[in-house]
Amino acid sequence: MAEIVATAALSHAPSLTGWLYKAPEDTQKRILAGFRKMGVLVRAKKPDYIIGIANDHALNLPFDNTPDFCIGVASEWSGPAEWFKDWVALPDYKVLGKSHHARTLAREINRSGIRVAFSDDLLFDDNWSVPLHFVTPEHDVPLIPINMNCTVPPLPSVDLCYQMGETLAEVVRGMLPEGDRVIIMATGGLSHDPGGPNYFEVDEEYDRWFLALLEEGNPQRVLKEVTIEGMLAAGDGGTTELLSWIAAMGTVGDHPAKTICYEAEPALRCGLGCSFWDLT
Amino acid sequence: MGIMNTDRTLPSNRMVFEVRRSPEMYERFTRDLEQIMAVYGLSEEEKAAWREENIGQLAELGVHPYFLPQISRLFHGVAHNHNESEACKAYARHLDDLH
Repeated sequence: MAEIVATAALSHAPSLTGWLYKAPEDTQKRILAGFRKMGVLVRAKKPDYIIGIANDHALNLPFDNTPDFCIGVASEWSGPAEWFKDWVALPDYKVLGKSHHARTLAREINRSGIRVAFSDDLLFDDNWSVPLHFVTPEHDVPLIPINMNCTVPPLPSVDLCYQMGETLAEVVRGMLPEGDRVIIMATGGLSHDPGGPNYFEVDEEYDRWFLALLEEGNPQRVLKEVTIEGMLAAGDGGTTELLSWIAAMGTVGDHPAKTICYEAEPALRCGLGCSFWDLT
Repeated sequence: MGIMNTDRTLPSNRMVFEVRRSPEMYERFTRDLEQIMAVYGLSEEEKAAWREENIGQLAELGVHPYFLPQISRLFHGVAHNHNESEACKAYARHLDDLH
């Protein structure tokens, strides 16, 4: 059976690469140190590939037919998509996929009863481009991207996202090749409000509460206390991206997370943080 | 207003979705707004809001909130999108309408 060697969760805000220079210098240093540490932790696990879970920014999942989850099954990916290049200010890159493995995930997760779509044509914006820049800057670890709907109503419930993570972990361990070392990597959040009245604010109190909750390693409490309504109150336009972190939690059960870094800097318009679950 | 008030059927939402995906459609957007609004079948109410770059009105009509700052970027550019950028300042002018 394949082994999930670690699960990671991190923000992917475009400000991390596009206008980080607008933050105070010491804040920039702490952010770069934290996100680069995340990369060191992931790469130290020598993963054969990463299975990522990120919200789709209404770029690939159309409004007339919006799945909760969509597994990327291409053998190679590229980014950033044209219109987003200047926004994230990152050079063009390519990263290998794992087509056969991704199809296995799509087939088996559907068989489990969770409906997932699949696609070999996903455009990458900040959701993958920014985290890969920090975690695998050489783009030398293959990626199976899972794009999920976190913002187009009706949203998948917190319970469904957690169940998706549990099922993903079961399929990885049960169906992917013996000896494969797998990292699960959720990206999105923390609090932010693109398109809302709090666009230029960050809800630091909510973010720190959420990160502390992950450190408890108590999924029952998470499922009881983390709600879509609470996320919306912390930043209507984007905080529900944390549903991808809930899916990540589903892959670790009661393992406690370690918070690697957190910064609440209004110039960057998003609570920025990283959590890591060391499973081996 | 908020993401739960999104009107998924609104033609403006499809237009923003596809313009960001396709360099060709983005070029058409920048070249001739009237023509591309006709292609997507926007209502007269929507067209009026786009002509005025009235983000508050677009929100009221059901444009997805995530698209609202992106609409500012479609008009004013995406690079260096910090809080003092033209795109952000254009968005900020409509903040009171978004409460």
